[in-house]
Amino acid sequence: MIKLFLVDDHELFLAGVRSELGEHFEIVGSSGDVDDAVNAIRATQPGVVLIDVHMPGGGGIAVVRNLADTEVRFLALSVSDEPEDVIAMIRAGARGYVTKSIAPADLVEAIRQVNEGDAVFSPRLAGFVLDAFAGSVPASDPDLDQLTPREREVLRLIARGFAYKQVARRLEISVKTVESHVSAVLRKLQLSSRHELARWATDRRIV
Amino acid sequence: MESATTTKARLEIHRDVKQRVLGGVAAGLGRSLGIEPVYVRAGFVSLGLVYGLGLVLYLGLWAILPEEPSPETAPVPGIDRRQRFGLLFVFAGALLVLRGIGFWPGDVVMVAGSAVAFGLAAMWDRSESNRRRDEARLLLPGDRGERSVGRLIVGGLLLLVGLGLFAGGIDAISGLGTVVLAALVTAAGVTLVLGPWLVGLARDLGRERTERIRQEERAELAAHLHDSVLQTLALMQRTDDPRRVVTLARAQERELRRWLYEKGPAVEGARLVAALRSAADRVETDFDVPVEVVAVGDRSLDDATRAMVGAAGEAMINAARHSGAESVSVYLEVGDEVVDLWVTDQGKGFDPGAIPRDRRGIAASIVARMSRHGGTAEVSSVPGEGTEVHLRLERG
Repeated sequence: MIKLFLVDDHELFLAGVRSELGEHFEIVGSSGDVDDAVNAIRATQPGVVLIDVHMPGGGGIAVVRNLADTEVRFLALSVSDEPEDVIAMIRAGARGYVTKSIAPADLVEAIRQVNEGDAVFSPRLAGFVLDAFAGSVPASDPDLDQLTPREREVLRLIARGFAYKQVARRLEISVKTVESHVSAVLRKLQLSSRHELARWATDRRIV
Repeated sequence: MESATTTKARLEIHRDVKQRVLGGVAAGLGRSLGIEPVYVRAGFVSLGLVYGLGLVLYLGLWAILPEEPSPETAPVPGIDRRQRFGLLFVFAGALLVLRGIGFWPGDVVMVAGSAVAFGLAAMWDRSESNRRRDEARLLLPGDRGERSVGRLIVGGLLLLVGLGLFAGGIDAISGLGTVVLAALVTAAGVTLVLGPWLVGLARDLGRERTERIRQEERAELAAHLHDSVLQTLALMQRTDDPRRVVTLARAQERELRRWLYEKGPAVEGARLVAALRSAADRVETDFDVPVEVVAVGDRSLDDATRAMVGAAGEAMINAARHSGAESVSVYLEVGDEVVDLWVTDQGKGFDPGAIPRDRRGIAASIVARMSRHGGTAEVSSVPGEGTEVHLRLERG
C-alpha cells in the first residue's frame, strides 16, 4: 500500500481527505506547518506527499524545496487556480498539480500515478503549459524551451478532458508513451529558463 | 582632512535618498557616522554661515557621493557617547581653525547661528520617540520621554541663547525696536518648539485615516461575504440533492474568485474567454453539471467569435442534457490564424446515423451558426464513449 503524507493547514479539509483516501492508502501522517512537515516527512518516508500550496511559513513550496534531496514525490493540491501558483509549485519540484475540486476517484488515480513517477496534468495545468509555451520565440535552449509537436498534441488532448488512456488511443500510441511525453513536458517546465514562463505568470496576476 | 578621507573609505558613505531633505547627503553621512541626520544638517547650516562654506561642501558631496545602491541595507550601529563627543570636538576644532586663519564672519553670527541650528536639531531629533513608539506599550507612562524632555530643555536653551545673541546683533545694527524684535523672536521660538509636536500630530492623523480606510474595507468584505458566501452556505444546508450542492458550491466559488482576483465587476462579453466562461457558468447552473473551461490565448469579441460562443453554449447544453456525463470539458485555443474550440463529454454518446430528431436539430443549428461566419462545426460521437463538438474559425 502506498504511504501517503498530507500537508495542509485546514483541519476540516485534512479530515475530509483522510476519510476519502484512508481506504486506498496508508496515511502515515499529516501536518499543517512547514517545519513540522519537513521533519515528519523525513521521519516517515512516505511515497507521496499531498501538499497544499498556501500555508503559513513559506507555503507548500518551502516544504518541497526543503525536501529536494529526498526521493519523496509531491502532488500539489490547492484551491488556487492561479497560474503563478501552479507554475511555481511545479518548478519547485512537484510532480503534478490538482485542485481541491477534483473528484475523489480522480485524486486516488492521480496519487497512484505520482507514486509511479509519472506526472499528473489536470486539463487546466495542460492549458497553462500550452499558454506558457505558446508562440515561437527564439529559444536559448530549444531542447528545454520549446514543446515538440507531439507534446503539444498530448497536452491539447489532456486539456480537452481526456485521460492518458484515451489520449493514447486517439494518438495510436501506448499509455507509456503518453506518460513519457508528459514527464518530458514536466521536466521542461521545471528546467526551462524561458523568460516567458516567469513573465507569463506575472502578467496573469493582473487578469 | 586625512582622517576624514580614511573614515570615508572605511564607512562607504552613500547618499540616502529615502531619508533625504535635499540630496540625501546629510542623511547618508548621519547613517554612516551613526548619528541622527538632523545634527549633520545643523553642522552644514553652521558651516554655511562661514560665507557659504557649508553649502559648497554640501553640493560637493552631493556630486561625489554615489546614490545608495540598495536602500534596504541595515542601519550602521550607532556610535557611543565618547565618540559622539569626539565628533563634536573635531567639528569645533575645524571651526576654530577657520577662525584662526581669518575665514570667519564674526563670533556673534557664528555662535548664535550654531546655537540655533543645533538647538533646533536637538528638538527635531525624533529618534528617541520613534524608537519608543514601538515599545510604548511595554513602558510605564513615567518612564516615557524623560530623556527627550532633557533634550528639549537643552535644545530650547541653545535656541534662546542663539536667538538672543542674534537679536542683540541685529538690534545693534539696524536699530529695530526692541519690543517688535522680542515679539518676532518669541513667535519664531514658539513655532520652532511646537513644530515637532505639530508634525507628530499630523502623522497621527494620517495613521488614523489609514486605519479608518482599512476598517471600511473590512466592512465591505464582511458585507460581501454575508450577501454571497453565507447565503450559499445556508442554501446548501437545506439542499438534499448532492449534485445541486456541488453546483451551488462551484457557482459560489467562481463568484468569490472573481470578486477576489478581478478588479471591478467582470465586463461580460468584452473578451472571448470571459464570454465563454459565462456561457459555461449558465449551463452549469441550469443543468447541475460541472463545465470545465480551459483556455489558451484570448481575443476580443466580434460577430464571428460571438457566434462561436453561442454555438459552444448549445453544444454544452446538449452535452449536459443528453450525455449523462459527470462533467463537460471545454477547451479553447486561440492561435494567430485560427480559433479552435472543443466541447467534450465522456457520456453515453450516440450513433451519428440514428440521431433523435431533437438532437439533429441542435447539431444542425450549431453547424449553421458557425458556417454563417465562415467557420466549421464537426460533431463526432461514439456510443458508450462520449461526444465531441469541434468548432473552428479561421481568421478572415
